[in-house]
Amino acid sequence: MRWNKAFKIAVNIIVHSKIRSWLTIIGIVIGVAAIIAIVSIGNGFQKNIQQQLGGLGSDTISISSGFDRASECPGPRCRQRPGDAGAATKNPLTNRELQAIRSIPNIAAVNTVVSQSNQVYSLGETATVNIDGVDVKVWKETTTAAMNQGRLLTSGDINVVVVGSVIAKQVFKQPIEVNRPITINGRAFKVIGVLKESGGFGAEDRKIFMPIETARDVFNKTSSQYDSFVVKVKDENQVTAIEAEINKKVDVVRHVTPDTRDFTVISMKTIQERVSAILTGVTLFLGAIAAVSLLVGSVGIANTMFTSVLEKTKEIGIMKALGAKNADILTIFLMNSGLVGLVGGALGTTVGVGIAVLIPKLGVSFVQGGQPLNTDISSQLIIFTLVFSIVLGMVAGAVPAYRASKLKPVDALRFE
Amino acid sequence: MKVVIQLENVWKTYRMGKNLIHALQDVSFKINQGEFLVIMGKSGSGKSTMMNVIGCLDIPTKGKLYLDGKDVSKLEESKLAQIRGEKIGFIFQQFNLIPTLTALENVLLPAEFQENDEEKMKQRAVQLLDFVEMKERMYHTPSQLSGGQMQRVAIARALINNPEVILADEPTGALDSKTGEQVMRLLKDLHKKEGKSIVIVTHDYIIAKNAERVIELKDGMVIKEEK
Ligand SMILES: Nc1ncnc2c1ncn2[C@@H]1O[C@H](COP(=O)(O)OP(=O)(O)O)[C@@H](O)[C@H]1O
Ligand SMILES: [Mg+2]
Repeated sequence: MRWNKAFKIAVNIIVHSKIRSWLTIIGIVIGVAAIIAIVSIGNGFQKNIQQQLGGLGSDTISISSGFDRASECPGPRCRQRPGDAGAATKNPLTNRELQAIRSIPNIAAVNTVVSQSNQVYSLGETATVNIDGVDVKVWKETTTAAMNQGRLLTSGDINVVVVGSVIAKQVFKQPIEVNRPITINGRAFKVIGVLKESGGFGAEDRKIFMPIETARDVFNKTSSQYDSFVVKVKDENQVTAIEAEINKKVDVVRHVTPDTRDFTVISMKTIQERVSAILTGVTLFLGAIAAVSLLVGSVGIANTMFTSVLEKTKEIGIMKALGAKNADILTIFLMNSGLVGLVGGALGTTVGVGIAVLIPKLGVSFVQGGQPLNTDISSQLIIFTLVFSIVLGMVAGAVPAYRASKLKPVDALRFE
Repeated sequence: MKVVIQLENVWKTYRMGKNLIHALQDVSFKINQGEFLVIMGKSGSGKSTMMNVIGCLDIPTKGKLYLDGKDVSKLEESKLAQIRGEKIGFIFQQFNLIPTLTALENVLLPAEFQENDEEKMKQRAVQLLDFVEMKERMYHTPSQLSGGQMQRVAIARALINNPEVILADEPTGALDSKTGEQVMRLLKDLHKKEGKSIVIVTHDYIIAKNAERVIELKDGMVIKEEK
């Protein structure tokens, strides 16, 4: 029997199928729609996050003193070890670590930073702000925020600061502009530049920057001690390798092992990878739940196919009397259940894509004030779910179709 | 004269629990090409069972069945299906049209299981529907047709693959006498014009008058054979 002829009969069966078969199809529709919608949302969210994190410079690595072991040590009774984040005895970074890091190949620049949280006065207002003292020669390379007004710090600058966008616009009622005088620790500074929004999570937007020498002077910090370094690498693809190398070298200099480590090396790339891994996990998990509902739907197909074969017993007998071979009947019913899967898959895909298209238009977001939720519909996913639902339909219909094909013509004809 | 079908000591035995029911007992006879044969007998005498064996829908428990001189009594189902499709046209008491197909599609159904030229088959189906005077109704489904009309469509369907033998199991059994006569006239016509072998199962003596030969069955045995 030719495929097109079997197909014609299979289509006829579908077209004339009872409400019950359409209800079964709904099971597939829901499963497929859920998979498409969930995976599209997951992918879109992942892309969103990647974009935000990408704005933070995926070619930089930061090294800071202190190590956050919060995850290893829950509860209030957990004793802090020296060197832990927040501990008073935080061991600062020194020139030895700096030299060790500088000796690593493929590093473009190392910015040295001292940090202090301090009160800042501006036009009679006070606010506590994070202040970074930076190496003005390399800072412009490691920062990701562009200038909005004024200029960056240069060598030889004294008593001047550059202000992040949030500090400039939101922290004080009176926005800070270039040439505005501000006071930190009793010393007067002049604002020479205001940064643009850095995008991403915007750590730089909430900081004030000054030359490192000035910062040491103002906050009475020991020279040749640092709170953190920011390393810019030559090739983004080497971030992970260089990160490992930094850990190794600094471990040696500070006489620590990975277990007693009292500094933290982190790169945007690592953060991206971790976030991405978590999101992929969540998407897969939700997708798996949707897949289970699809599986339940296919059990429904199997059930309907059994009933359908039973209802069509007489017709199967007639077709056999008229010359249909067992293989013909098998083909017709397999095509029938495959078609049920395809119709369910196609409707489900339409609904799923519809949801995925609508969601960005709603403008909702996961984080308050964050970017609106985006979806990313991949054609591969659509093709996969379509093929999958056809196969699912055929697998579900396989046993009933086989039973139909094996019916004895006389018995089938006698069936009422 | 050429023999189309030959039964040789055919037995058909059904097992009902511990009992054996011999629906056919040692039946032997021949059907010649172009013959109009009527098989008579009371209900339960084994007529339908015989029809199923002749039509290769069922195989004999014992004995042999020859079709065109070839022994088909031991063939597997797919071979039997092939023979049914090519050589035999069935007409049933309950018409057995597929309710979701139109008259034309029903007539074409046996052709779907064969290799052929679809366009030619469609033309042939329309011709056959014309022959049974159902051309105007060819796009109607069975539920829109009367019993006599359905049986005429079924006759056209039996002819689509140009079979050697037409087997009709009580073709007028579900019709009133007037439409029954129409259907019989059609079958006689077919016999005369096309020279097809026709086997009709009936318990109606009036129909038996049309026959060239009558075989009477009782308890699965041939008790009378007359010309
Ligand atoms: N599939 C079957 N299983 C058991 N007994 C059957 C079966 N088919 C027919 N019979 C029995 O065989 C005998 C002949 O039946 P059948 O050929 O249908 O007679 P008729 O068509 O002349 O009325 C009956 O006794 C019937 O009960
Ligand atoms: Mg009968």
